[in-house]
Amino acid sequence: MTAGKFTFRVPEDRLYTAEGIWVLSEGDRPSNRIRVGLTDYLQQHSGDVAFAFVKPSGARLLADETLAEVETIKTLLELPSPIAGTVVKVNPALDLTPEVINRDPYGEGWLATIEPADWGADRAGLLGPREYLSHMQSQVQEELEKP
Amino acid sequence: MSKDKGRVVVVPCSGIGKPSGSVSREAAYELCESLRPQKTQLVALSKLVLGDAATRETVARTPCVAIDGCQQMCASKMVKKSGGTVIHAVAVLDAFRRHRELKAEGIAELNDAGRKLARVMAEELVETVDALGSSGVDKGATYV
Amino acid sequence: MSEGPERKVGIIACSGEELAEGTVSRLAALRVLDSLRPHDTVTLCLPLFLAGGPDDRTFALHHPTITVDGCDLRCAAHATEMYSNKPVHSLVVSELVAEQGLRKPGGRRQLNEAGRQAVESTAERLAALVDAVISKETHVSDTARVTGTSERRERGEGSCSCGGKCAV
Repeated sequence: MTAGKFTFRVPEDRLYTAEGIWVLSEGDRPSNRIRVGLTDYLQQHSGDVAFAFVKPSGARLLADETLAEVETIKTLLELPSPIAGTVVKVNPALDLTPEVINRDPYGEGWLATIEPADWGADRAGLLGPREYLSHMQSQVQEELEKP
Repeated sequence: MSKDKGRVVVVPCSGIGKPSGSVSREAAYELCESLRPQKTQLVALSKLVLGDAATRETVARTPCVAIDGCQQMCASKMVKKSGGTVIHAVAVLDAFRRHRELKAEGIAELNDAGRKLARVMAEELVETVDALGSSGVDKGATYV
Repeated sequence: MSEGPERKVGIIACSGEELAEGTVSRLAALRVLDSLRPHDTVTLCLPLFLAGGPDDRTFALHHPTITVDGCDLRCAAHATEMYSNKPVHSLVVSELVAEQGLRKPGGRRQLNEAGRQAVESTAERLAALVDAVISKETHVSDTARVTGTSERRERGEGSCSCGGKCAV
């Protein structure tokens, strides 16, 4: 969607949370690992990323438990895990070049890969691309109406 | 040439979309008006890019410091594209990484933290300016 | 996701650091964006515009723009025309100051009283120009609807959705 001069992309190949996390299964099977990251809207709205701290490999999380903290020049984001599972891999680029989240939020700016505990159950609670787009449009509208 | 010896051209981005653009602008003023007025010359980026002849000539023969507001690095990129040599480029984001307590807010008017961040950036740049000033050659410069 | 053409005017200020008038241009643009016409305007970042920022250049290609320059070098006006499209209006602070008999602004880093007055005058003029552009756009659009003709700008088809500015 475009608002003013800003364009916020929502790829159709993944699922989303209302908080602005994208979720991409790395295969078709329920046991396949899940990759997650920030949506284009969330990264643009939050500003230039200065630091990104993700729970380390091996960390077990429940859905909605904090997966990562991303500190931008404007704000500090606490990002809940979209699913229950175990962190398998953290994006190594985040150490030295966390601004990759801004530069390529859906590609090289991924946060972590998670081994899901119950993908079927957690998947049902996520938003499809069009649902997320609609939710994002409401968020944008709210922003515009702020005094 | 002799009047420019030891002088440094300072080019901030002055981006208007984010507080960090105002920080870059304020850092440039702090450096050029308060800290090292005799050793620096402030140059407007758009004036340079759009071909003001005198500005281009100055930039071509004088080492430049670019102060970028964000990771787009507009000032660094465009100074180089316009024929300047950027001996040192600083980005507000990198300065913020070293001073996390200084979250800049406001574009038309920076908050206290933004002004402090600008001052810190300017103070960090003094070293570069002084090093160049002493010999006309910057032995420790980070050439970009 | 477009919902129809949005009526927004892009403001591009030179923000020149070397003269007080450059600071006036910056503050006047921000005053219009933040207070006077927040729902009708978008500010475009000139350095990003020069460096090739696609969002800003694309916006300027499909929407009317007004440039605000400090002096008669008219950097913002020239850049907009060179990289996108000719601005609908081009304000120059030094000319406006002369025209209105105002005192020359001073204090490029911190404007003096004359500078602050110039900001107000420039912002008012800018807001009036925004109104004129929006009103003309509305008229053209209404006329197109009445006559059934498709609206085409010189610049190309607009393709934007809901209007607004988003803080980044």
